[in-house]
Amino acid sequence: MFHIPPPINGPRRHPYPRFCNSQTPNMVFILGLNFPESRLVKSALSSFYGIGPRHTQRLMSKLYIHDTARVGSLADKQVLDLTAELSNMTIENDLRRKLQDNIRRLRDMGAYRGRRHAMQMPVRGQRTRTQTATAGKLNRVERFG
Amino acid sequence: MPSSICWKCLSTTLTQPLRHGSIKPRIPIYLPTLAFSTTPSFQLPLPAKKSSGVKVTPKKGTKSLVIKKGKFQAENRARRPAPGERKALRKRIVLSNVNALEVQGMQNIEVENMSDQRVEGQVLRLPGPIVDQLRAVEAFKPTQSWGLFQSPGTLMRRETVDMGKLIADMSGEEGGSRRTVKMVLVGEKGSGKSMMLLQAMTMAFLKGWTVINLPEAQDITIGHTSYQPLPSSPPSYIQPAYLTNLLRNLPTANPHLESLQFSQPTSSDLPIPIPPNISLARLASLGASDPEIAYPIFNLLITELLSPGRPPVFLGLDGLAHAMQDGTGYTAPNLKPIHPYQLMILEWYFKFLAGRRRLPNGGIVMAATSQSNAPKVPSLDLALSKLEGSVVTRAGQTVPQKERNPFMRYDERVMDTLKPGRGIQVQRLPGLSKEEARGLMEYWAKSGMVRERVSEGLVAEKWAVSGGGVVGELERAVIRMRV
Repeated sequence: MFHIPPPINGPRRHPYPRFCNSQTPNMVFILGLNFPESRLVKSALSSFYGIGPRHTQRLMSKLYIHDTARVGSLADKQVLDLTAELSNMTIENDLRRKLQDNIRRLRDMGAYRGRRHAMQMPVRGQRTRTQTATAGKLNRVERFG
Repeated sequence: MPSSICWKCLSTTLTQPLRHGSIKPRIPIYLPTLAFSTTPSFQLPLPAKKSSGVKVTPKKGTKSLVIKKGKFQAENRARRPAPGERKALRKRIVLSNVNALEVQGMQNIEVENMSDQRVEGQVLRLPGPIVDQLRAVEAFKPTQSWGLFQSPGTLMRRETVDMGKLIADMSGEEGGSRRTVKMVLVGEKGSGKSMMLLQAMTMAFLKGWTVINLPEAQDITIGHTSYQPLPSSPPSYIQPAYLTNLLRNLPTANPHLESLQFSQPTSSDLPIPIPPNISLARLASLGASDPEIAYPIFNLLITELLSPGRPPVFLGLDGLAHAMQDGTGYTAPNLKPIHPYQLMILEWYFKFLAGRRRLPNGGIVMAATSQSNAPKVPSLDLALSKLEGSVVTRAGQTVPQKERNPFMRYDERVMDTLKPGRGIQVQRLPGLSKEEARGLMEYWAKSGMVRERVSEGLVAEKWAVSGGGVVGELERAVIRMRV
């Protein structure tokens, strides 16, 4: 007789997002990381290395999470789905390792870009007389991220 | 001359209990415990550090946290507002002011006088219980100046009395009363569209109608409440938190739901068992208790309210343009914005507005447009213009009906909802007449908001200044602007 919505949202923790001011706010576990309940889902997701605004929006649309949703207002099912989605993506250390592998491959084959990385010099033809601080800081074979 | 007794010895003798009673001080001596100083404690020099023999250097590789305490940090000790506090203050609705003068001889709006031609141009008070009901349907807006007067009152303009007549007529027992009136309120900014909605709801409450109001379409489409899809094609979405809130306010807004019994046989596809013979108010509260069951309960409640023998229903919506714009703040899994018509609550409302669903017990479906915070929706403008035809302004100018622009893309769903022939009336709210303006200004004067004597000249001046009696502008000219 009536359409009963599919159980996308399981039992909720709180009907409304709770704002925690206490010293020990209730935390929500997403991909092994703890987030306070008052944190925006958008911000929590984009705090992972490798997830920017685009992936955040894609994930949130896929799981029907609205823009201003707080982590505390997510249903358990949604939290689990988010974790499942995230664990299938190359993010955090996997992504960093991939990046380092790519640089190492360039270095091992003796490519110019690989050598420049190893020398901590600009890779893409920038001048080196001045202004190479960023390259000196970031470009290396064991690049962090 | 220095005392012959050592101070230190005296202090010990005074503070410690005497061992033998032979020595008793005859004069009480008050000893200062702390040096008196006008210097605040935080300005005192820090106590000198004791120099320890060995200097401990931090371990290599460890960083010690240093937090600089700037001047600003030391001075700014005010409590920060809690989350939501500032918004609550911004959205606060104050309906009375004890400092305002009480208007003597002010009548309440009642069933007897709401359709009476004689109250035209008078300001009538909203009775207390009705105020509570209007609060529950969120009919009051924070921008309206209720807080300047002792008690909330509203001007009975010609259109209001006409509306009163319509509602009184539809509440009667005659055969013609069971019709559905569909109406869109238009008018320039400050012409009283939201107030007309409030007045219509007031009169519907007085007549014992069931009022369901969607107070701000922007709140539905802006994408700030949770949403989830329904298994339908094309996909439709429900907003559980919004529905929960709507259901929670329904019994407060409509106290007669307490006396109406739930009559349907309990269906097995409901997520929770519903006890037989509960009141509709209880049913609504049941739905409000859990967002998961809000949607089926809402459907059930609407079916109940539309079943034979129930009172007429008033469906209100403010800010129509937000509900008819191109997209909402929600996105579908394909990252496309969801159309407002895909939101179940708006789709439900538009079915009644377009006449695809009828109100079997009679009733009014009223939508108000807004001019102050509205997105540009060309389809809505065109459709309303087509419904309304050419408009003659008070100044005698004729504004012709809009024509379809071949270079513009129109939303066919909107054009279809507001198609001519669906029986939707477009009610334009013009400026007040001079008599109505005078009645309103006299009420303001009696409340102590106008210093001058309300004369023919003053009324004419302010009426002209306010663009021919546009009530919002009149208010701005008379009671808001003080030179």
